[in-house]
Amino acid sequence: MEYSRKEIGNGIGVSTIYMDKFKSNLITLSFIRPLLGEEASLNALVPAVLKRGTKNYSTYMDIQKKLEDLYGATLNLDVNKKGEKHIIRFSIEGPEGEYTGEANYLDKLFNLLLEVIYDPYIKDGVFLEEYVGQEKENLIRRIEGRINDKKQFAYERAIEEMCKGEKFSIYRFGDIESVKNIDNLSLYKHYNKILDTSPIEITIIGKTLDIDFEKALKDKIDMNRREILNIPRENISNKKQSGKSVIFEKMDISQGKLILGYRINIPYEDKLFDAFIVASEILGGGPNSKLFLNVREKESLAYYIHSQVLKYKSIMVVSSGIEKENYEKTKEIVKNQIDQMIRGDFTEEDIKDAKNSITTSIKALEDNNYSVADYYLSNAVSKENKSFVDYVNSINGVSREDIISSCQELRLDTIYFLTNEEEVK
Amino acid sequence: MEINSIKSEKLNEVIFDVELSNGLKVFYMPKRNYVKKYAIYSTNYGSIDNTFVPIGEEKELIVPEGIAHFLEHKLFEEPDVSIFDEFAKLGSYVNAFTSNNQTAYLFSCVAEFEKNLELLVEFVQNPYFTQENVEKEKGIIEQEIRMYNDSPDWKVYSNCLSAMYVNHPVKIDIAGTVESTRSISKELLYKCYNTFYNPGNMVLFMIGDIDFEKALTIIEKGQKNVRKLDNGITRIKVKEPEEINKSIIEEKLSVSIPLFNIGFKDIDVGYDGEKLIGKEICTSVLLEVLYGSSSAFFQELYKEGLINQNFGFQYLGYKDYGYAVLVGESKAPKEVHKRILQVAVNVSKKGISEDDFKRTKRKLIGYHITDLNSIDNIATAHINYYYKNSHIFNYLEVLEGITINDLEKRSRDFLNEKNCCLSIVNPK
Repeated sequence: MEYSRKEIGNGIGVSTIYMDKFKSNLITLSFIRPLLGEEASLNALVPAVLKRGTKNYSTYMDIQKKLEDLYGATLNLDVNKKGEKHIIRFSIEGPEGEYTGEANYLDKLFNLLLEVIYDPYIKDGVFLEEYVGQEKENLIRRIEGRINDKKQFAYERAIEEMCKGEKFSIYRFGDIESVKNIDNLSLYKHYNKILDTSPIEITIIGKTLDIDFEKALKDKIDMNRREILNIPRENISNKKQSGKSVIFEKMDISQGKLILGYRINIPYEDKLFDAFIVASEILGGGPNSKLFLNVREKESLAYYIHSQVLKYKSIMVVSSGIEKENYEKTKEIVKNQIDQMIRGDFTEEDIKDAKNSITTSIKALEDNNYSVADYYLSNAVSKENKSFVDYVNSINGVSREDIISSCQELRLDTIYFLTNEEEVK
Repeated sequence: MEINSIKSEKLNEVIFDVELSNGLKVFYMPKRNYVKKYAIYSTNYGSIDNTFVPIGEEKELIVPEGIAHFLEHKLFEEPDVSIFDEFAKLGSYVNAFTSNNQTAYLFSCVAEFEKNLELLVEFVQNPYFTQENVEKEKGIIEQEIRMYNDSPDWKVYSNCLSAMYVNHPVKIDIAGTVESTRSISKELLYKCYNTFYNPGNMVLFMIGDIDFEKALTIIEKGQKNVRKLDNGITRIKVKEPEEINKSIIEEKLSVSIPLFNIGFKDIDVGYDGEKLIGKEICTSVLLEVLYGSSSAFFQELYKEGLINQNFGFQYLGYKDYGYAVLVGESKAPKEVHKRILQVAVNVSKKGISEDDFKRTKRKLIGYHITDLNSIDNIATAHINYYYKNSHIFNYLEVLEGITINDLEKRSRDFLNEKNCCLSIVNPK
């Protein structure tokens, strides 16, 4: 793997990653936005409308036909949160030309991606009202559809409650009211704002990388955009801003979903943060973790239980699916296991296994082109410059003392339980 | 021991294969630049194999629903050590899954492949079931089943299968039910294990940058069953009528919008090999042309707000059963159902356009090439092809050979109202 990054204009970074093992080319272009209530829904709606039609391919069907012609190239448009940043990502992937015999394939891919982003289908100076209306409906349905996946819903609701009053509580698609208030004019204005003011990150991965990005982009945008947003780092306040610390939510479900949210109180820039990554792995990383052994293997209370770290917000989340009558018992076991972490009640073997598991996952990212692209995008967004090797070394350098120290400021912030009864006895 | 190989010039890949003296099939695909090394050890035994003659016995036995999956859970149990711990010590990822047709155990690692392999070969051949550990597992499995019950996507699919099939055990949930799993005992688990976890019924596939000779030595040394099974396994097949069980099935769950699965039951079954693969690929091309993202069907229904981005479809074909499902969310699933059938009727009148056909072929060629980026995908896909008596490298050639006539014929034979079921999950 050979990685390099350069700036080709004001606020435009290009990461080039040479990897000859993949049979496809992948190009991504992301706009970085602040995560804000007033624009989250707009950010989500823009790519949805852009995929409906371009200047040369005025319908969704035409774009799809073009993609099929390009040997089943896939165009993905999505919006995601990275901490309190809202990332609008456009990506295109298709099979390497040497397998299909298609000439100038990479240019064809990139030109189509640029066309979708920069040459939308415009009528009377704005987006087509029909497309906007339909995509508004679809977006509302998607927001309503959050309840369909109970595990994910419980997790997201817990974060919302825990971070009430913080930007991080904003849902990646915004909210239904905001979507309803959008019209094709306001959306078009926001689209232009995205183009004019967002930091842009491009990544390209594959065996063939010969695209002149500067030349291709010059035709589409001003390379010296003036007003590039400066998006602040997340606040990782340890105080609950507002709201309750224990929430029971009722839904007609078969199994209760318990989410415990903790504040780690160490910023990711701190040396101790990687020690906490190891701590969380020992606690609830995999099938040999403390939570898995005690909640599942010993007590048969759950099929799944795990902990995960939300890096940019310094939050740890423990998730599990349990019967409602086991609520107190499960909570107690989790608390005891965390107390053990704080006291340093874990073995050298635990540390070694946890490090081994984390570093294996980091190394294995290299086998997936999307993961590599996302890793370097995260680096660019948080202005870090950490290679896979750096990250592995940092994890391996963590000591027992570091792990114990990293757990000292850990505080339970919010308990969220999605269950079919309002009160739990 | 003879090492064979099959090459794909087009894909610039090779797969080696060996059959051990006890009948175990071993495959290896080199992937030199990959960091991960991956092995999967699978037995041709899934949830549908619920009626059989246990090895060494004469009478047929019907086992509780969900037992293959239960067995998968329990195989991780060893008398002295925890298998999870052993793999964790090596920093590896270990997992297993049970499907309708197979149970598979796998690991991926970035170091010490040989130690991992030794462990995998050892634990899969070392059942340790006690009354106590079987009882303990019931609580965990019950929570797993309840988790699936909270998944409307899974429910709508599982209901669709039960509407399509009258007798065939594919209609049974892989994990069984809370009640059925309660009747599982250690004796029954051993019967299933001894019958189906036979080397002649199993396959081991490895992929990554691996020393194949060394790996083979480890696998051979680790074989506990050295003798080849004399006769095959007697699996009792139920008689499945051509007709569907029922044409519509509905359930209410907490969802925001109705979810639907529209299933077509395949009655052209009973064969495997190239013929089966050919049918499978032909059906996939057909579904793409008729209902894919560039189809007139998709364009119209999307515009009318009848389907959204979550619409999709798949055809699954096995030797003794096969079906297509078209899935999505809609405010009017019955209308979607009607329109899907209409499309099929129109094809028999107007045929399929050359242009759509060619484009779709190109698309599937591209998808196949891109799928080969993932060693995990290759491993599971390869085993599927093996059980169907074919080879993953045949895909492109079979695809090339499909004609418009094949598609039109398949549409007439398969996409009919009489073998079509609609499953809906409605909001409460």
